Amino acid sequence: MIATIQRPEIRSVDFCVDENIWGHRLYDEQLPHLAVLEFLGILGSNVDRPLRPQPEHGGAVTFKPQRQIRLRGLLFNNPYVESIAESAVSDDEKWKRWFECFRQGATGNGDEDMGYLRRSFSSFDDFAKTIELLRSSAFESRSNKRWSSKFVFPFGPDALYEDLAINAKGSMSNDRRFFARTGELLYLMLTRAQSGAELGDSLVERLFDSNAPMNRLVRVLQGAPQRVEEPKLTGYLPEARNSRFDRICDDWLSILNRDMPIYDALEHLIAITGLNMLLYFLERAKLVAGDDDPVEIVCEIVSKERTKIRALSGDSYQVNQGLPAKAVRVHVESVRLDARWSTNSQSCELQDVERLKLMRERFQWPPVDGVDEEDFTNKKPEELVDELVVNALARHAQHVGKIHASWSRAIGLSSRRLSRRTRYAPNDKLLKSIVVSIVKDRMQFDEFLAEVKSRYGLIIGDAEGTRLVSDKLVDQEELSENRNNLETRLVSLGLVRRLSDSCSFVENPFALQGDIEC
Amino acid sequence: MHNHTGLTQGLLALVPADGSSIGNQTLFERLRSQFPELTNELYWEVRDALVEQGVLKLGKGRGGSVQLAGVEVPPASAWVHFLRSYGPSSANLAMFDEHISRALDQAGVQPINLSAPLLEGMVSHVESNAPGAMLIAGTAGDGKTYHCRALWARIGGDPLHWAAKGNVKELCLADGRTAVFIKDLSELNGKESDLPLQRLESVVLGGDNSEIIILAANHGQILDRLRDLGRRQGRDHPLRKPLQERFLQAGPAPERLAVFDLSRSTSRQTLAEVAEAVAGHPEWENCQRCSLRSDGKICPIDENRRRLLGEADQGQLAHRLGDLVEIARHNGLHLPIRDLLALCSNMILGCSNKQYAKDNLLTCADVAKIQQGGDIGKASIYANAFGSNLPKRRASGRPVFKAMSSFGVGQESSNAVDGLLVYGKDDARLKSDFDCFVACDRIYGGTAAFYSAQDAYLEGYEGARLEGGASEFLAMLEDQRRRLFFTLPKGELGYPHWSMTVFCFAGDYLEIIEALKQQKPVSDTVRGRLVRGLNRVLTGLLLENEDRIFIASSGGFTQSRVSVLCDFETASRRQGGIGMAIKLDEETGQPRLDVSLAVGSGNSVIYDLTPIRHEFLSRVAGGAMPASFSNECLQDLLAFKAKLLRQTEIIKSACAVADDDEVGVESSGLSLNFIDVEPGGHGFSRPMTVRITE
Repeated sequence: MIATIQRPEIRSVDFCVDENIWGHRLYDEQLPHLAVLEFLGILGSNVDRPLRPQPEHGGAVTFKPQRQIRLRGLLFNNPYVESIAESAVSDDEKWKRWFECFRQGATGNGDEDMGYLRRSFSSFDDFAKTIELLRSSAFESRSNKRWSSKFVFPFGPDALYEDLAINAKGSMSNDRRFFARTGELLYLMLTRAQSGAELGDSLVERLFDSNAPMNRLVRVLQGAPQRVEEPKLTGYLPEARNSRFDRICDDWLSILNRDMPIYDALEHLIAITGLNMLLYFLERAKLVAGDDDPVEIVCEIVSKERTKIRALSGDSYQVNQGLPAKAVRVHVESVRLDARWSTNSQSCELQDVERLKLMRERFQWPPVDGVDEEDFTNKKPEELVDELVVNALARHAQHVGKIHASWSRAIGLSSRRLSRRTRYAPNDKLLKSIVVSIVKDRMQFDEFLAEVKSRYGLIIGDAEGTRLVSDKLVDQEELSENRNNLETRLVSLGLVRRLSDSCSFVENPFALQGDIEC
Repeated sequence: MHNHTGLTQGLLALVPADGSSIGNQTLFERLRSQFPELTNELYWEVRDALVEQGVLKLGKGRGGSVQLAGVEVPPASAWVHFLRSYGPSSANLAMFDEHISRALDQAGVQPINLSAPLLEGMVSHVESNAPGAMLIAGTAGDGKTYHCRALWARIGGDPLHWAAKGNVKELCLADGRTAVFIKDLSELNGKESDLPLQRLESVVLGGDNSEIIILAANHGQILDRLRDLGRRQGRDHPLRKPLQERFLQAGPAPERLAVFDLSRSTSRQTLAEVAEAVAGHPEWENCQRCSLRSDGKICPIDENRRRLLGEADQGQLAHRLGDLVEIARHNGLHLPIRDLLALCSNMILGCSNKQYAKDNLLTCADVAKIQQGGDIGKASIYANAFGSNLPKRRASGRPVFKAMSSFGVGQESSNAVDGLLVYGKDDARLKSDFDCFVACDRIYGGTAAFYSAQDAYLEGYEGARLEGGASEFLAMLEDQRRRLFFTLPKGELGYPHWSMTVFCFAGDYLEIIEALKQQKPVSDTVRGRLVRGLNRVLTGLLLENEDRIFIASSGGFTQSRVSVLCDFETASRRQGGIGMAIKLDEETGQPRLDVSLAVGSGNSVIYDLTPIRHEFLSRVAGGAMPASFSNECLQDLLAFKAKLLRQTEIIKSACAVADDDEVGVESSGLSLNFIDVEPGGHGFSRPMTVRITE
């Protein structure tokens, strides 16, 4: 049994169930790229000790996020810049009009005086063009999210900032809508990974180069960075060690070692992080629910012909979708198995007191002072457990229970293409990211498939799906056809070279030159 | 006795009525399924009695088969039956060599002789006294065993000894060495292959000069076996890595191991040879005296064979077929000899109507039926060439038909061609073209069946309005398109035949290869189109530039939709060591784009131009993007773009180091190159400087 770190009291939650299982917290709306952005923010605030544990804070670390109000305002709260650039007036007039417009929309958090911009850009049109450029590379630039939740591409240390809610008066708060601490958990995971420190150094060197041209451009717009005053503490991650943490870390290291521009590596980092976090979510669920078998993800490789694998991967999706809720129920009910629950106390009353204490320790529930309209004082602990199961499942279904669906779609693992049912059908981007992280220079195709299964539980070919075949769920032939479909797909993506029947090699297009020659 | 009568009748009913032969074992088993009590002795008793009575006669060969006596058999039927055994039926998927030799025995005809292209090299390797081993590698059906056997015979081995049981054969050579042949690694199960592999290792790496090992194996097989053996021995097998590198053409083979890779040898020439060997086989002479083609009757088998030989079209059919094989090969599909044989067999014998022909392959006995039905069009060689006579499942089981059907010939079309086929007969303006391209061919072109279906379609009888009512005509239309793909004359401007395939620009692709082979420049139109496509992919802008290449980024992801920052600009024509060159890869015979960003080796990025990538770029240049293969190629090209950007990064940082003065300027300003597009679509890069005031 791996050591679990004692959970600190988590304020602002009704009870701790999901938090005990997965940490505080995984959140469905924080898609993998947002998790990575949040992670980078924490890293950026800890460049002097990247991904090193901070024993003085227990299992957590502290950080001071940046807010960069000027930068984000210029990019995402500046809708008039195009129309002013296009208007047929003199350059002076354009600046004048724009300053006026921007001043009206300013939040009053250091974005009142933007005069410095004129000194940097020789014309207003240049300025407008720069804004357009940065917008075009932003994440979800076309989405209709509030402007304070849109993010510029992480070009460097000056481009990072935290998600905020900014109200009409300009006051800012963390409503944890899109930075819901999932990135904090990612930071903790990587800190607890065996090669965490190595990764931290590498990331700081590659990604936190304040002299990178695009970072300097961002800095021109933002000026001096704006940080929050008080350091913050990250959330809670239960396990001190987990092979999944090491997996993410090693995947990141190998992606960073490929011969590609760092900004391109980010895309693969995001996809592979999403996949690993999803697996963390499912694996934890399985473990807590008392199931020791590894997580299985049966993938259909979509091709022209419909195969039986489609139904099978749909089933596999359903099974995994059901895991977390099962874990929630088991976790709550397992309190009854605690030695203290069944201690034969002298009286029923004393035993109930002990049980209630135990529940409070475990779940921060029921509340000590019955502030809620509900009154718990009259209920037996046995009933309370049942009630907590109901409450926990209801809360779980709102967000945490949706993680599997929303993350697997976001990283391109699941799809409803050609079908009404959601199933696992990895898209080209994800496949490419997997190849980039697994294959150093080249690898025989069957070894690749075996590796894909052992790392990520993805079942594609017949050799990996022996269990499915022996359980008579599918013919071996269907699985090997599925495998062939993957091969064909990777060939057309330029990732596989075929020699003859049953012999092909997966090749990483971004292998370092030196690796191939030796 | 009563029992015997029933048996006799049952047996006779099972012997093919057309006079072709059936093997004793097959006959016995089929008979037993009707008469479970049948014993072997009883079978022979009944059979021999029938032979004695003269009702049955023994088949040719070793007497393993019987056939009906007194049936007049078309003269070439034994040969056609034999050719059928090469065809795409389920019977010959495994143990092909045995299957064919059995069929050859039964038919008693001359075998199909193909050259063994690498044989001479092998013989001279043995004769040169070079020590070590030889590996004959290739896909199933490439002719590994064929080569092995030919080599065995050439260096003095006894064919009978070869045919005897046993997978490992030894032969003493004149120079005192022992030649050890390992016929096929796949026939050795699991650990049985350990010993041969250990022998191989000791000969190759251990310096044992007393033996020369000749080993035939699949690429994957030998690598797998070496891996397994290495694993069991707790080491990385020392031969595995070098062999893998050799197979991938990334490195040399070990010094004492000569690799003959058959999978690299099939091409247009191979197909031509196979087609010639099949269609020009001497056994066809027998058709001269066949009643099925007398009195103006058309025998589809005979007709198809002539068309494949190219008697009337100066070999155009074979040439276009060769084009298709080339394109498939450059797309990374390997078509082994066995598949090419299946293709040729199917082209001649194929028939889309299962009622006429079992397994969709004709025998001579089926010809009369198809003639009576007036349905010769069902055996069209043009449809057979794409495997469209076969059920989907069976066609997709064979790489060659999978490859052929991937061209989409029949489904793809152009307005001109469809207009011609549908209205040509009645439209005065199209009439002459129609007569020239369709009506002139009374067998597969302007057939009575086609005309009547066309009339029905055009007249709009009741049935045509119903859902699927026109399906018969539409199916015919597909076959007509397939025919036109092969028969439209070259350079017919109104009806370019490549536009009837998925690869509209494949003709240009083949021309690039041809030009490069002859060291001529690639045509400006084609090059310009490629550059335009490349620029559009790299920038995401609708550029028209053909003179230079913009290596553009968005600042962030390479993947992002639009990239307006020009990181680097280079000429679309190599000059002074800089710019894009189109070269031919000697090893694969494939063209590649070679974009050099600075003088000197190591400063260029290479993109292998497969037909599908060429098609993609060409279509992007034209502005149309077929959804079917857009995403795949796009990913592929984006990887290329990422490599270009990475190379740019490297070259720029090298320049920055060399140019120390610039650093001071850099820190006070930042220069960005935007790509601006003029209204005509011409793009140019415009520098913009941002001052840094801190």
